[in-house]
Amino acid sequence: MVMADEEENGVSIQLEFPKGRVKKIMALDKDVKRVSSEALFLVSRSTELFLQFLAEKSAQVAIEKKRKTVNLEHIRVAVKRHQPTRDFLLDELPPPSQAAKPDKPTQPAGRPKLDPAPRGTRCIDQFFRKPEPENTAQAPGQPPENPAQAQSPENPDQDQAQSPVPVDES
Amino acid sequence: MEDESHNNILPNGFNTGSTESPCLKTSTMTTQHNNNNNHQNHSNKEQDRFLPIANVGRIMKKVIPPNGKISKDAKETVQECVSEFISFVTGEASDKCQREKRKTINGDDVIWAITTLGFEDYVEPLKTYLQKYKEIEGEKLNIPKQLRSEQRLHQHQQNHNNNHDENNNQPFNGAYASSNLISQPPYVPTDQKFSLPFSPNSIQNQLRQQEQIDSVGHWYE
Repeated sequence: MVMADEEENGVSIQLEFPKGRVKKIMALDKDVKRVSSEALFLVSRSTELFLQFLAEKSAQVAIEKKRKTVNLEHIRVAVKRHQPTRDFLLDELPPPSQAAKPDKPTQPAGRPKLDPAPRGTRCIDQFFRKPEPENTAQAPGQPPENPAQAQSPENPDQDQAQSPVPVDES
Repeated sequence: MEDESHNNILPNGFNTGSTESPCLKTSTMTTQHNNNNNHQNHSNKEQDRFLPIANVGRIMKKVIPPNGKISKDAKETVQECVSEFISFVTGEASDKCQREKRKTINGDDVIWAITTLGFEDYVEPLKTYLQKYKEIEGEKLNIPKQLRSEQRLHQHQQNHNNNHDENNNQPFNGAYASSNLISQPPYVPTDQKFSLPFSPNSIQNQLRQQEQIDSVGHWYE
């Protein structure tokens, strides 16, 4: 409730993170001697803004991939799309555990939007992941299905990436 | 690659980023080593290095679609990302202080660091929050608006001196100082009041804020 008011009106200066913990993290740098209360306040607030930004972008990636659950891969894509963030975070992220995603690391930058494949074109992934006749039957002459077809190669990757990750509904 | 990235970040061409990285790693290793040897430290080192995952999850939920969910791995990764962000900003601000031969990181250093690191969009919201923060602090101290900013700086210095003296008498802070090899622990006693990961309610928080102010009542002198 208080946080909702803060988000809408910006009146409250209630910090979301405990000050002591933020100070501990700042003090991990042995060069840090003293921190004023203003500096501590600003670091806490900027961290909240960064977290909101990261969560928002990750949610957008999940939506683009037709997913309701934000997972590790969505965060990685979101980080790659923002230059200042990727500069200091890309090396910190856990490496992709799925060998099924060799394409993404090789790409210099994540695409802001997946381009729909031209009519009749099939992604190479289909030959390896979707041998089902259902997709094959739909592919040739279904113009309305082209966007879905373009999206479908991503789904198996997400399914594989998501299956070992337990979903937490906290 | 990392060095190049840091060089790109700093227009002046300083290599502070590259020099900062090994320093951060050394600090982390030192902290972990001390935590392993210090039995008095009951906190889990993993928990100490990250922000509480409950807070992280709560904020994430507020910006994702109502029917969206967040996997546990995603929360833990974001938890690490935001802690890395704090260390990143702190390192830049600390470097600036050292170049200018100052010992205390202040608000301007943080804003400068955030701008340098490429998060310019955060500067205006931060200044707005800081202004409100000062207003609330000023109202509690009943200081005329004309003198608020000047006395704030003065009181901050007094505050740090006072906290430093108090910290010397605090066994917990003393233990922490020894474990981290920092002659002047940056902790203030009132932080203990905010150690709870959850805030019961706004009134309780306001009371704590007042208590925090009262703990430095010498400002009235």
